[in-house]
Amino acid sequence: MGERGEETLRTYEEINEKIKRGDATVMTADEFVEYAKTHGVEAAAKEVDVVTTGTFGAMCSSGAFLNFGHTDPPIKMYRCWLNDVPAYGAIAAVDVYLGAAALSETRGLEYGGGHVIEDLVSGRVVELRGEGFVTDCYPRRYVETTITLEDLNQAILLNPRNAYQRYNAATNTTDRILYTYMGTLLPRMGNVNFSGSGQLSPLYKDKDFETIGVGTRIFLGGGVGYVIGEGTQHNPQNGFGTLMVRGDLKGMSSRFLRGATIHKYGVTLYVGVGIPIPIINMRVARSASLSDEEIFTDVVDYGVPSSNRPSLRKVSYAELKSGKIVLNDRSVPASPLSSLKKAREVAETLKKWILDGEFYVSKPVELLPTYRELKPLKIKGIEPRVKDIMSKNVITAKPSDNVQYVANLIVRHGIDHVPIVDEENRLVGIVTSWDIAKAVAQNKKSLQEVMTRRVITAKQNEAIDVVAKRLSSYGISGAPVVDEKNHVIGVVTTNDLAKLLEGKGYL
Amino acid sequence: MRFRLIYNHKNLSKPILAEAILKTKVLINILEAKVTPTAGEIMVDVPVEGEKLREVIRFFEDAGVTVKEVAQILEIDMGRCMGCGACVSPCPTQALKLTKDWEIEFDEKKCVRCMICVDACPVKAIKFT
Repeated sequence: MGERGEETLRTYEEINEKIKRGDATVMTADEFVEYAKTHGVEAAAKEVDVVTTGTFGAMCSSGAFLNFGHTDPPIKMYRCWLNDVPAYGAIAAVDVYLGAAALSETRGLEYGGGHVIEDLVSGRVVELRGEGFVTDCYPRRYVETTITLEDLNQAILLNPRNAYQRYNAATNTTDRILYTYMGTLLPRMGNVNFSGSGQLSPLYKDKDFETIGVGTRIFLGGGVGYVIGEGTQHNPQNGFGTLMVRGDLKGMSSRFLRGATIHKYGVTLYVGVGIPIPIINMRVARSASLSDEEIFTDVVDYGVPSSNRPSLRKVSYAELKSGKIVLNDRSVPASPLSSLKKAREVAETLKKWILDGEFYVSKPVELLPTYRELKPLKIKGIEPRVKDIMSKNVITAKPSDNVQYVANLIVRHGIDHVPIVDEENRLVGIVTSWDIAKAVAQNKKSLQEVMTRRVITAKQNEAIDVVAKRLSSYGISGAPVVDEKNHVIGVVTTNDLAKLLEGKGYL
Repeated sequence: MRFRLIYNHKNLSKPILAEAILKTKVLINILEAKVTPTAGEIMVDVPVEGEKLREVIRFFEDAGVTVKEVAQILEIDMGRCMGCGACVSPCPTQALKLTKDWEIEFDEKKCVRCMICVDACPVKAIKFT
């Protein structure tokens, strides 16, 4: 195997000479995949100088550096809002960083940093408010005015993590609708959402980063941008490479830069990114020729509230793009969250720019790493789990017991939840003091008539926060704790949670 | 075809819809119903055409129910729509689809007005009329 980045088929200079003369051969990744299928990768590699790629998806890790210029008298703006969306101001006097995910302090999830960026790019007037840290050299305390993109000295889109090589597809095995950053997920695996453009995906078309590195000129938000390094959480050895990119907002367009709200999740920015892949060697050509059938990702259960979500199966982008995938022998509707229409438009636009001699390829100053560990955040100190707060002396009843008997149990032990178990202590239902009150009011005698059979449970090693969220989302005040075999080993209630807060001095 | 059946306080408590189904034998499907103590409105799909459809409409009108045709029930602002598919897979009846050119396509006949697509749309391009 040759050296990474070697220019054995053609050099960057040769490609740029051809672009200048107007005789470079450029194909979009979609076209190149087809061409390689019919003519073979060798012939395609010989024929084609540049393959253009594209993606257009929600990229939360995005934002913009803005410089407003100085007021008279000047202000050291340490707090700043744009259309009521807070921007980070603890950099020099009139520089701020506006994060795409920042939320409006008056409109919440409806409007945020992503929308402000779209408004700026569209030429709309944006309200600016700033509070000053008063010093001898910056005497002004407050500023309130309006700005447009044109008024700014610099408006630089600088996105710490964009253009994921591929992304997990999402489904939901729980029995309620989930609203996630992967969109609306119907209960019981009712649908699958995916992201990424598969065979058009910029970082999959040069998956070993032989041509993409620091200084690579790219299509960004409808204008020209540059790769400035690996993105945060860059994890290329697992096919999850990312990029950090920058570009001048003043050259961009709202066609390829859109503020968006993911329902009950937050605000984000849809970004169009396109990267030209110069076919410098055969390995790059083979990577660029990978089709949707050859690019795989995992279908992940977002019903599991852990960062280690289980994969239900592997799936190709071809299957995902077909609109249906098979899960547990059932056909489930699948659709993208990123726009494949716009992804194609990005690749087409970039191709046109190169053919028109307006865009040249650039040799990276430094290639990106092909291995980066992705470490979790370790929590130091002890974090309580369910087993630390649950009541272990569980009072249970049998389905054959009567209402009167359970009413006595509740009063005698001062409890609200009585799990109903079979002979082997396996959970079959639950009754609460409310159920018993209702049973008495309706003159019902047998537990069978009043117990809840579909019981919401907890596991002893689950994090407290997860169980608290579960109790509140089902509107219940407690849950039996069960082991792997569904034996009842405890009960956790909102009272236990309250006590925990008290112990920590929160109350 | 979809219709809005508008009830007044006089006919509100009568089972007119059930009678209409029994009498005309048309499988009228309720898509949405709003009932207050003084008025009611039901949106229905009437899956027949021609003389049979006229018969159904006449039945309601004779019972004092105002019948209004619903021309368009969902509007997609194509200027805002990015052509992502965030509204497509959550649609329980597959009324929203992506074409092979990745454009959003809406099949009104399949829509049951659950409105899950309104919230699912990241750019708020979908409205119900």
